[in-house]
Amino acid sequence: MATTTLEPRTATYRRSWVLDWLTTVDHKKIGILYIVNSFFFFFAAGILALLIRTELAVPGLQFVDADTYNQAFTMHGTIMLFLFIIPALSGFANYIVPLQLGAPDMAFPRINALSFWLLPLGGLLIFSGYLFGGAAAEGWTGYAPLTDDQFAPGVGTDLWIIGLTLVGTASILGAVNFIATIFKMRAPGMTLFRMPIFVWTVLVTAVLILLATPVLAAGLIALFIDRNYGGSFFDPTVGGNPILWQHIFWFFGHPEVYIVILPAMGVVSEILPVFSRKPLFGYKAFVFATIAIGLLSFSVWAHHMFTTGAVFLPFFSFMTALIGIPTGIKMFNWLGTLWRGKLLLTTAMLFAIGFLSMFLIGGISGVMLASPPIDFHVQDTYFVVAHLHYVFFGGSVFGVFAATYYWFPKMFGRKLNEPLGKVHFWIHFIGFNLAFFPMHQLGLSGMPRRISDYSPDAGWTILNMVSTVGAFMIAVSIIPFLINVIATFINGEPAGDDPWEGNTLEWATTSPPPPYNFDRLPPIHSERPLFFLTHGHGHAAERPDDLEEEGGHKPGDVERRDDDLV
Amino acid sequence: MQGTMATSRLRRVLRIGAPLLLIGLLAGCLLPPEPKTEVGRDVFNLYVVVLILAAIVFVAVEGFIIYAVFRYRRKPGDDTLPVQLHGNTTVEIIWTLIPAVIVFILFAVSMVTLGDVEARSEEPGVIVNVEGFQWNWTFSYEDGPTVNAQGGEPPVLAVPVGEPVRVVLSSIDVNHAFYVPQFLIKRDLINLGENGRTNELEFTITEEGTYAGQCAEFCGTDHADMKFVVDAMPRAEYDEYIAALASGETPPPTGEGDCTTTIEIKANNTQFDIGEFEVPAETEFCIAFENQESVPHNVSIYDGGEALFTGSFLNEPGEIVYNVPALPAGDYRFICDAHPQAMVGDVTATE
Repeated sequence: MATTTLEPRTATYRRSWVLDWLTTVDHKKIGILYIVNSFFFFFAAGILALLIRTELAVPGLQFVDADTYNQAFTMHGTIMLFLFIIPALSGFANYIVPLQLGAPDMAFPRINALSFWLLPLGGLLIFSGYLFGGAAAEGWTGYAPLTDDQFAPGVGTDLWIIGLTLVGTASILGAVNFIATIFKMRAPGMTLFRMPIFVWTVLVTAVLILLATPVLAAGLIALFIDRNYGGSFFDPTVGGNPILWQHIFWFFGHPEVYIVILPAMGVVSEILPVFSRKPLFGYKAFVFATIAIGLLSFSVWAHHMFTTGAVFLPFFSFMTALIGIPTGIKMFNWLGTLWRGKLLLTTAMLFAIGFLSMFLIGGISGVMLASPPIDFHVQDTYFVVAHLHYVFFGGSVFGVFAATYYWFPKMFGRKLNEPLGKVHFWIHFIGFNLAFFPMHQLGLSGMPRRISDYSPDAGWTILNMVSTVGAFMIAVSIIPFLINVIATFINGEPAGDDPWEGNTLEWATTSPPPPYNFDRLPPIHSERPLFFLTHGHGHAAERPDDLEEEGGHKPGDVERRDDDLV
Repeated sequence: MQGTMATSRLRRVLRIGAPLLLIGLLAGCLLPPEPKTEVGRDVFNLYVVVLILAAIVFVAVEGFIIYAVFRYRRKPGDDTLPVQLHGNTTVEIIWTLIPAVIVFILFAVSMVTLGDVEARSEEPGVIVNVEGFQWNWTFSYEDGPTVNAQGGEPPVLAVPVGEPVRVVLSSIDVNHAFYVPQFLIKRDLINLGENGRTNELEFTITEEGTYAGQCAEFCGTDHADMKFVVDAMPRAEYDEYIAALASGETPPPTGEGDCTTTIEIKANNTQFDIGEFEVPAETEFCIAFENQESVPHNVSIYDGGEALFTGSFLNEPGEIVYNVPALPAGDYRFICDAHPQAMVGDVTATE
């Protein structure tokens, strides 16, 4: 009997498992690499955080000397921001964005692989300072002239500069890739205003990265020239200006805050509607608020510099206060989504609601800091440390865990255990607040940040002890999380294609999806194509627009609808 | 019946009382120290206004989140869809206006207070040049003495109470920040070169007393130890204090004592060139000290925490000969009072 069909095969030769992961250009595998790599750095920087909190638990230097302490908080900040939060969210974006757009992969798969592999390289370079006489110890903001070779002669600071430049380059490459993917790879019917909110936040984030990160790279290179080739960009003794570094750093650094928080907002905006069984309240308002935050983020950098006496306070104070408006709109949109919903409190949903509660506190303290006279008192104190942790940890990291619990079933075909997840959430949530809420009061009472020791007479001992206990609770909460992940790999509950009754296209394919994601796409008439599929177009309150088209699209379809944007 | 009525009354009380209690708790706890300057009082009042606004927003939003979690929780087996509400333009306009109004109020009251904070008097009671360096302070009174750290204690900035005090802030190396928590204000010390711009702060202290201050801008290894004390005293007492300082400043006659034993010590890059020296016990000796950089240094000799000899400071490059009184046989330390961690060595007095 003659055979007329040829079995489709993905590879014509067998590759080892390791080589496959090392050479992959599949956005899903790269996404997982990003996330795994990020968690590795999260644990490393978390250990440094415990070292810091242990040293500060009681007055006196008990465990480390001042230099070790300074290296610890510098590495903690640098690694957490540049090698955990940003790449973790990039990892989820890598995995999810093409799926949510109905695309087979990212626009530039090889660049995608390159931008990932620069990360562990950069991260290890930054850490390798420990092998060469000490890591960088000037704080993650690397203020000149403390980073000048005269005051920081160690090679650790050079490694920090090189590593950060590589990580920044990775970020820029990734941003280009996301922008191209989002503008060029959308499935037929997926107009800009039908894109899931997560994709919108990734798009705005990518634009921020593209505009802000090259500025940091330029600053880092200038600093490297100052340190190694006798430059004087930031050296005041030969005509340079140390305030220039602050301008450059924060011109990148403030958009960077939104680079860190916007994708987490996107994650939360995916999860809240699904587990409330309602659409996101005010989708377009949310999109415009995201764009507004992105635009405003470039006009507020000098609010980090109020105490330098070198910036025009009313302008930067006003612009900073303005950011409170789109942020407030988003908060109300989330609350409107919960309102009269049918809330299912899964672990992902708990982390999303935790994000709302904690980001709220970080947002409020941020608006307080926008007032220059208040900033004059609490700038560079633990109040700022509390504020930034409520934004980065209470916000972004809660977002990362929400995304982990939400998308894990899609990535691995198995659901994480819910009871264990809830144990993780509650220890994490309580520990987080114990660790960071007292810091508000410590800062108000005048405890400066970045000090390795404080006087027993200062009255800061009890709150510091509470904070340390909280930090260890956070560490303990990671144990059920890790057990959960391992147990799920061994014997997890199969997830099926769509375990959460999702709204967006990633749930329209198998878990995990096949190499090129979709065999067939459902029709796309709104930002919730799967909701349409399950509940029909005729649902009373669903949008009445463009219901005429039936049937599905194949991924290869190139037809465009008249109302498609771009 | 009565039980339910009592319960519902309790719930009503709780519903109104709990948020108020929370606002009170938040506002009661999260306060800066009691301000000890006139400007500090303005900042404190502004802070209280802002904190009340913040507490109201927090309780309203957090309250709604908690309410929603309990009120709208899905019942087991409930598979119905809630109303698919996509938005409501009126509501969205209103909730754009709410944060807008709040931030405009915040901005307006902040600018009023900012005017007070930045106000400068024509003739301040005292002008002090504050110089920061890794990791200590030098206070130079205009037309008056210069104060450095002494005896292992932070340097003391004596000022008159009830008069405007202006501090002119400069750094000779990296960034520092002058911060006294009880004054509710800080400002950076930035090295902008030889004739670069300096920062200024002005405050009028309202109450006698000593106030702890410390560097608030991370400045390297011993940042945590870069402390100072502001000592506010009545004008008359202040004048006496400064006069005493000024007279004590005249360096003791140099090289006139018994210099049969002379130890040479040089200071550069915040380091002594020697780590130890030996002198005969029960005999006066001399230290020929040379400061080779523009960072304040001195040499003092300590027995544990007790200063046996305190050398006067060289704030600029220069040389001085200290006459040191006789030491009983034993082990001592010599220290630069401005750099007690970085510049330490051993002294042995032998029979």
